[in-house]
Amino acid sequence: MSGRTRMALCAAAATLLTACALLPLVSPAGWLVQAAFLLAIQTGVGMAARRVPLARPLTVAVQALAALLLLTVVFAGRQAIAGVVPGPDAFRYFGDLLRAGGDDVSRYSIPAPLSDGIRLMLVGGVLVIGLAVDTVAVTFRSAAPAGLPLLALYSVAAGLSEGGADGLFFVLAAVGYLMLLLAEGRDRLSQWGRVFSGGPRAPGAEPSGAVAPVRTGRRIGAVALGIALVVPLALPAMDGGLLDTAGRGGGGGSGDGGTVSAVNPLVSLRDSLNVDEDREVLSLKTNSTDISSMYLRIVSLDRFDGTTWQPSKRSIEAVPDRFPTPSGLSPGIKRTEVETTIRAANWYAQNWLPMPYPPSRVDISGNWRYEPLGMTVVGDRRQTTRGMTYTVRSLDVQPTAKQLAEAPEAPEALQREYTELPDTLPAVVASTAREITKGAANHYEQAVKLQDYFTITGGFRYDTEVKVGTGRDAIANFLRDKEGFCVHFSFAMAAMARSLDIPTRVAVGFAPGTPQGGGKVTVGLKDAHAWPEVYFEGVGWTRFEPTPSRGSAPAYTEPESSDSTLPDPARPTQSASTGPSASASAGESCEQGGPAPCASESPAAAPAGGGDGPRWYPALAWALGGLAVLLIPSVPLLWRLRTRAVRLAGQGRTPSDVALHTLAVWRELTDTAWDFGIAPDDSQTPRRTAARIVRLGRLDPPAADAVHRVADAVEQVLYAPQPRPPAGLAEEVRRVRSDLASRAGRAARLRALLAPRSAVRVVWGLAERWALVRRRIAAARPTWTRPSAPGQRG
Amino acid sequence: MTTYDDRASLTDLTATVERVRSSVEGVIEGKPEVVRLSLTVLLAEGHLLIEDVPGVGKTMLAKALARSIDCSVRRIQFTPDLLPSDITGVSIWDQQRRDFEFKPGAIFAQIVIGDEINRASPKTQSALLESMEERQVTIDGQTYELPSPFMVVATQNPVEMEGTYPLPEAQRDRFMARVSVGYPSVEAELQMLDVHGGASPLEDLQPVAHAHDIVKLIDAVRGVHVAEPVRRYAVELVSATRSHPDLRLGASPRATLHLLRAAKAAAALSGREYALPDDVQALAVAVLAHRLLPTAQAQLNRRSSEQVVQEILQRTPVPSAPQQSGFGGLGRAGYGQPPRRLG
Repeated sequence: MSGRTRMALCAAAATLLTACALLPLVSPAGWLVQAAFLLAIQTGVGMAARRVPLARPLTVAVQALAALLLLTVVFAGRQAIAGVVPGPDAFRYFGDLLRAGGDDVSRYSIPAPLSDGIRLMLVGGVLVIGLAVDTVAVTFRSAAPAGLPLLALYSVAAGLSEGGADGLFFVLAAVGYLMLLLAEGRDRLSQWGRVFSGGPRAPGAEPSGAVAPVRTGRRIGAVALGIALVVPLALPAMDGGLLDTAGRGGGGGSGDGGTVSAVNPLVSLRDSLNVDEDREVLSLKTNSTDISSMYLRIVSLDRFDGTTWQPSKRSIEAVPDRFPTPSGLSPGIKRTEVETTIRAANWYAQNWLPMPYPPSRVDISGNWRYEPLGMTVVGDRRQTTRGMTYTVRSLDVQPTAKQLAEAPEAPEALQREYTELPDTLPAVVASTAREITKGAANHYEQAVKLQDYFTITGGFRYDTEVKVGTGRDAIANFLRDKEGFCVHFSFAMAAMARSLDIPTRVAVGFAPGTPQGGGKVTVGLKDAHAWPEVYFEGVGWTRFEPTPSRGSAPAYTEPESSDSTLPDPARPTQSASTGPSASASAGESCEQGGPAPCASESPAAAPAGGGDGPRWYPALAWALGGLAVLLIPSVPLLWRLRTRAVRLAGQGRTPSDVALHTLAVWRELTDTAWDFGIAPDDSQTPRRTAARIVRLGRLDPPAADAVHRVADAVEQVLYAPQPRPPAGLAEEVRRVRSDLASRAGRAARLRALLAPRSAVRVVWGLAERWALVRRRIAAARPTWTRPSAPGQRG
Repeated sequence: MTTYDDRASLTDLTATVERVRSSVEGVIEGKPEVVRLSLTVLLAEGHLLIEDVPGVGKTMLAKALARSIDCSVRRIQFTPDLLPSDITGVSIWDQQRRDFEFKPGAIFAQIVIGDEINRASPKTQSALLESMEERQVTIDGQTYELPSPFMVVATQNPVEMEGTYPLPEAQRDRFMARVSVGYPSVEAELQMLDVHGGASPLEDLQPVAHAHDIVKLIDAVRGVHVAEPVRRYAVELVSATRSHPDLRLGASPRATLHLLRAAKAAAALSGREYALPDDVQALAVAVLAHRLLPTAQAQLNRRSSEQVVQEILQRTPVPSAPQQSGFGGLGRAGYGQPPRRLG
């Protein structure tokens, strides 16, 4: 196989491997086969064109044309002239397809169905990237920059999948790229002649081992890959290393350490998409008689920062066999234990386990951990609900209104924690709350009045398309406009309740789904919901339902005496109905603030950077990271500048100082020449080195004289009995440098400035130190080894 | 070692040498480097081996050098039947004095031209050994000092030529340098036809320096300073020949000595009071190559010892700082490591 053929194949392989990162984005993966096939043809065309050989731009043009024809045949055969040649119709059709694809992308959650539009985008994208890689790496023979299109492809995939892109895909992409580099290196090496591996080898036999440089290259590649995978784990606050196992689930051990990182499930929902079809998320089978109260809670958000609610960072532990009694629940309260078997859809990847509250026992396989305060079960090490089936025993707590009304004050700590409000909360929230709850005798009545205010008396309208805005005034705006959806209702009620010193938090999860009969229930995307939970000592966390037309108001919020006739029709038990009218509005949510946990749509319904902990910490980490990114490439430049300054600094007085200075200046001169491409040669004397610099650098006579003067000075210092080096050598070096620079091209000048070749001395220096250390270790070792018989030594 | 700081005699030296050189170059045209090397060897108290095919002016060079200096010159034509006593001399019975009388051989001169030295038998060649190294001749227990300056200029045909006995290693080692004259360039040859067409230029050659001038010059050369890095460089070069895979026999410590002496002379010839690695480099091939024995494999590969020396020169870093002085840290290996060569 010729070098170019190998490189072309590697380029195609690298593109395909990188394209694998797109696999999780769409559901049937068939497009990849198609893309591979078309890419193979495109690569073949390129290879043929280079074999001819055509001019490079022509080769690219031919390949692009081939790609266009292929796409036409595959996607727009009917619109094309003679089925092959893309006419105006075909282009128009492409435009339509792409537009449709764009719409699909924005409409469907991940993984999206493979519509024609999306398929065209994927296949066409892979072909374009493949063409770019092939052009850069093979046609223009420069494999390293070909990483950029590959990186672009991978970034798109990783970005779209919201960090869901697996480490596996990164490894695949990296392996592809390394293969490409390796092929290029091999190709370049072979241009020098046959590649020797050192040892004798039978003719025709496979090389017994890799050629030494190749082997080194492979090792470097493997190490770099390893570092890329491992280092992010060690970096603090940079969420989402590729192998991020511990990041979101807490301590990797099986013990009881670790914390739940504060990840706001709402954040990842912010960009969730409206869905046309109500996809099934969960299907449950329960022995509960009251399906309308079968709310499935994912997590509770207990921290309110003025703009949004977030879960706190909590410690997690192994899932207990039987959960403890929920906090605050006293024995006198009526309860029944129900058992629910839940099966999550294959595409639904949630880190928290949707469960009825309060759970008392969970049977599930996988890496799950238990967060005792919130009574949630959290996936550890990327464990998600994808395709899981699990059984939950939970309590259906049925307090009476009286019990709630007579509930004593909550414990001090709990009271403090769950009534905390930011100072930035507009005053109108608290004042409205006080106004609404005027006359209420206790927390329970206050809460009921709040709920009624939202559902009945306040005149609020459920609308998923409102724009209340985000930020501190979101709740105030919502109270003014009286339009919003579950997130707004629950957030507003929770904030108002807190302003009244009622311990409150917001639960995220699913409203009861659609009963299918026989205790079976289907929960769809549109059942995603948020609701407030209020704490009553003796009862525990109690669900309220302020969102009109969604979910069901709990029985205990309807005091026997209260006017229960009105709300009932407004609160049908089933939420997200399957009817067309409801689906039009219900599903379209999630635009802002913290859109409904309509969530689920993003399979990785997870974690975008933990917004918890001190704010400055991630900011600092990012700043430092950014600084490092900026600084690392300029290390050679900085090192060089500093070295030059040191070497050309003052001459000194004593003869030995002068000698040192002269040698340093000489070193600087040779390094300067090196930076401009004249590599130093140890076997050359100063005089010859000077002549060589003058010759190769094509210096003008004054600069040439300067070089020779410096060389003379070095000779004097090194070899003469009484050295008398002239002064002003540093100036000579500067003159030589400017002359070299004036003769070099712009690229060479830039390189000499930004990536000076002589900076490799740093590496050598380090290598030397390392060797020294190793020698010392080796020297120290004999004391440990078992003394062997002297005769056995060689 | 006496320090050399007498600038006046250094200028004297260069002036004298310049005279001798122009005189010799009047005879040997177009070969300034050969002439220079000959003078270097003369000033370094060494012996010169001129090796080349017949007819390129080996003998002419030797004679011109001898004639330009006002000193005793003897010429020995080495033939297969030449006897050692013809070189060193014999003791014969003096009837009148009733004693053995020593009749000095041809070696008793200041410049000895040994023509076609490899035509004599090894036994005869060996007769030169003691005289060349120790500058004395011992016959019948009696040691006779040779005059100073003393220089043997031998010419030989390449060993492949017929009727030759290759010089033994010990003999070769005693020559400071080997030089080959080489064919002249077209211009030089044309000019030679013009000049040599009428009369031999040797006939007109007058001495331009006296023997005791040369002795003084030799003294001056001894005073040339050789810095520690240069000495180390010479040692490293020579020791590299001993470990080179293409060589069966490396250069001797005497070779190191000769190399440094020659470097000093070359420095003095350039009017410098200290030797440079450049001097060592310029002389390394001439001083080292004829002492080396390539391996059979290297000979098969047609690798000459000159090539090996050249390669060693390219590989050995030039020390740039005295090892123990305060220059440490400026580089363990001179000016910087050479980039890895790809080809």
